Amino acid sequence: MSLYDELVTAVGVDRVEPLPDLGTPPCFRVVPGSAAEVAEVIRRAGASGAAVHPVGAGARPSRIDKDPKGERSRVFISTQRLDQVLQLDEQSLLVHAQAGLTGLDLERILAPRGLSIGDYPPVVLNSSLGGIIAVRTPGKSSARHGFFEDAVVGVSAVLADGRTVHTRIAPRRATGPDLSRALCGSEGTIGFITSAVLRIHTKPEARLVGAYLLPSFDAAVSAVLFALREEAAPAGMRIYDAAEAARHFNGHVLPRGHTLLVAATAGPTDLAACDRDLITSAVIAEGGSVTDTALADLWWRRLHAGEPTPGPAPTLQIMATPSKLRPVYKAVLAEATRLGASARAHVSRFDADGAVMFYSIERDGVAADDTTAAAVERIAEQAGGWLLGARATKLDTYLRSLREHLDPHRIMNPGTLV
Amino acid sequence: MQPAVDVDRLQRELESIFGPRRVSLRAVDLDTYARDMWPRLLIAYRDGIPAPHRPHAVVWPESVREVVAVVRLAREFKLPIIPYGGGSGVCGGAIPLYGGITIDTKRMQAVRALHGEELVCDVEAGLSGERFERELERRGYTFGHFPSSIYCSTVGGWLATRAAGQLSTKYGKVEDRLVGLTVVTGRGDVIETDGPNRALRGPNWTQLIAGSEGTLGIITSARLRVSPAAQLRVFRGYEVDDVHAGVEAIRRVLQKGLRPAVVRLYDELDTLINSFSHDHRDDNNPARAPVPPISTGALPAYPEPERPKHDGVVDRLLALAKGKGLRQNAMKAALGKSEFVNRLFGTVAERIARRGCRMIIGLEGARIRTEIEAALTFAELEAAGARDKGEDPGWAWLKHRYHVSYRMSPVFRDGAFVDTMEVASSWERLMDLYHSVRTAIGHHAIVMAHFSHAYADGCSIYFTFAGHAPEAAAAQRLYDAIWRDGLEATTRVGGTISHHHGVGLLKAPFMAGEHREAMAIFEAAKHSLDPDGVFNPGKMGLRQR
Repeated sequence: MSLYDELVTAVGVDRVEPLPDLGTPPCFRVVPGSAAEVAEVIRRAGASGAAVHPVGAGARPSRIDKDPKGERSRVFISTQRLDQVLQLDEQSLLVHAQAGLTGLDLERILAPRGLSIGDYPPVVLNSSLGGIIAVRTPGKSSARHGFFEDAVVGVSAVLADGRTVHTRIAPRRATGPDLSRALCGSEGTIGFITSAVLRIHTKPEARLVGAYLLPSFDAAVSAVLFALREEAAPAGMRIYDAAEAARHFNGHVLPRGHTLLVAATAGPTDLAACDRDLITSAVIAEGGSVTDTALADLWWRRLHAGEPTPGPAPTLQIMATPSKLRPVYKAVLAEATRLGASARAHVSRFDADGAVMFYSIERDGVAADDTTAAAVERIAEQAGGWLLGARATKLDTYLRSLREHLDPHRIMNPGTLV
Repeated sequence: MQPAVDVDRLQRELESIFGPRRVSLRAVDLDTYARDMWPRLLIAYRDGIPAPHRPHAVVWPESVREVVAVVRLAREFKLPIIPYGGGSGVCGGAIPLYGGITIDTKRMQAVRALHGEELVCDVEAGLSGERFERELERRGYTFGHFPSSIYCSTVGGWLATRAAGQLSTKYGKVEDRLVGLTVVTGRGDVIETDGPNRALRGPNWTQLIAGSEGTLGIITSARLRVSPAAQLRVFRGYEVDDVHAGVEAIRRVLQKGLRPAVVRLYDELDTLINSFSHDHRDDNNPARAPVPPISTGALPAYPEPERPKHDGVVDRLLALAKGKGLRQNAMKAALGKSEFVNRLFGTVAERIARRGCRMIIGLEGARIRTEIEAALTFAELEAAGARDKGEDPGWAWLKHRYHVSYRMSPVFRDGAFVDTMEVASSWERLMDLYHSVRTAIGHHAIVMAHFSHAYADGCSIYFTFAGHAPEAAAAQRLYDAIWRDGLEATTRVGGTISHHHGVGLLKAPFMAGEHREAMAIFEAAKHSLDPDGVFNPGKMGLRQR
């Protein structure tokens, strides 16, 4: 039987799309409707020697044009039809959802019941759940609800041999390694994620926002860290330097050298107010003051109500731990100036590991060339930052060996990670 | 079967790495390292049965370099390596089933660096829990991890077993406080899994190695999250009508987004037995005044100058029996008719202690937020029908909470045995779990339980059981039956067989039921990190290599 026939047997003729643009050997896109069909597709594709690649909501660039060697057929398995909530346990605040649902889809399903996936950045929730879980990058977190991967209580995935594994759910356990962590971040190389059990939250009783003016970037970072040390757990916080504030807030002019901090808190009313007060106190302790709340309102609406954010996407996304935020910022600005360009930044997604810094590097008002960006990136790394999406290679031997054991014929998303 | 080994050569080779003073092949040391605190072994030990498995040698490395050297040597000799921390494990995880070289990590005990602004700390694996916490306390921080074994366990042991401390509801279990690990793998390499943790793509190796109980490699140091020392501590006692009402009250608090440091709900029998302790009745008991100072409340000095007379769980069972005019022999007889006793105590509990179940709740942390959270927490509990019993029960628990674990010897000496089973599940399944396991154990032993380690999505239940059999073999059979029935009941209702004690040998046969097909991933990790199967063979339900 040809690979095409195998795939048609697994999912039906309407769900197999040949991809002639990818040349020979033939490649296909299949759209299974259940975890069992995914398993069948992987089993049959594996038996035919084809590689399988997961395709989520497409929030990240498709991998379709990768693997230029073209040595084997490839099957792109879309999670598009895996779009069901399998179980909602309102008593334990757990949802078992299929991988093809986006975070925002799930949020829409939960909202009428007074539930929410949590205060994660909406840009993260744009992706399919499978994609959010399979790709580990910093910033999939919130100071209030922690890291997204920590909200994953269980994962169901299909391994290379077609076996389906379900990591069992428990609030915490001490029965060996956390096996779901091999699947989280494995980018489809260990298993094809078909569904996940996630922790969810009740909708907060209150949401409050505040805007603050601080005398410097350093003071703003100090205020944020101070508030977090006092155990404030805001739903979101963002620091804009003066140039970034002007761009984002329609030419809003901050006093020279000053920085804007916006924050949102949520929870039981008293707790949300407590967190807002803790942030305000931290700001005042760092020599800052309260400013126009409308700025914070606008920021929050842009994040959560779809209002557009002005300007092109940032040039560089750098993660830094708390003590590195200030030196990285200083180094990036100095390097951009040295190269005759300018840099502006906002800092967001504060969590226990630090925060993500979004830099726009420009020359004469337009995005700087790649060479300039690369030079700035090097300096940021030297100052202790990490480029978002970077990968450590030091454990590649172990990852390769782990994959070999589960996937001896390397059919699971080859070309990714190692 | 232990492999045949040229012992003289082994000793020479080990001494060339460690020198003569940090290697031992003496019988007394091999006997000591033949066991941990697994009660099944203690039953045998009490009855004079020699340890069936002993290591070939024990070594005490002081550096990662030495650990690498001994792992390479073990591979050459085809001998297993058994990592050993404080020896406080209760599941037999440190038993050298096939002999080998036991690596005691306790000489690697430096607090290397504390990064205050990052709120992380680098420590070596052999550091004792008590020393670690005292060192942090001195510098104004806390790790927030207070297992009852804190005086006799190590950081490496905590990480290897995914331990939990008494204040885990706020601070999380030890794996929640973990940023990265330094590990010597079965390939004899040193790997570092820290990034920071989430800055880099790929699977999370830190969480894949944490909890592996020495089967994937030996943890030599770790980067851990710390918190500023608590500025305020608030503890209270409550009473609820029954277990179900208490569980609901705790769930409401946690799901509101509140994070008490500790919540403990005692079932009727546990409440009844606790009520016989004089902690809460003796007017001279200084539990209330003065309130423990914030600087010492988290970790009292041990041993304390004065110990309460009735502080161990089984002490209380014995006291109860004596109080009802029974002789000690009668107590043994009662332990042998556990179903009857459980039922009797259940009825007595209901009749005498109509007032219901006891609950302890405590909060600590930054002053302002803790104060607000405490007010919200107490209001939520009262809204759920809990009755405030004031601060005394809370402070009394805080003061005496380390006593239970260090009082097992008299129990075993009296011919009985006691052990604990800590299982967990989502809230939806929690009452099923409670009733199923209680019934399963209740066929064999006297059983009581408390609910602790609560999370927004579920909770752990800590069963304590006491049994007795006329001779060692029968006691072991009884002990095995209790565990088999208890853990099978747990799996049946969808709970996890261990919340924080780990697996070791005790729960290894139940790992397949716990993880099912996902064991394939554990096997793959074993293949990757320890391809020759050097590390702690025969444990955790992994295949033999």
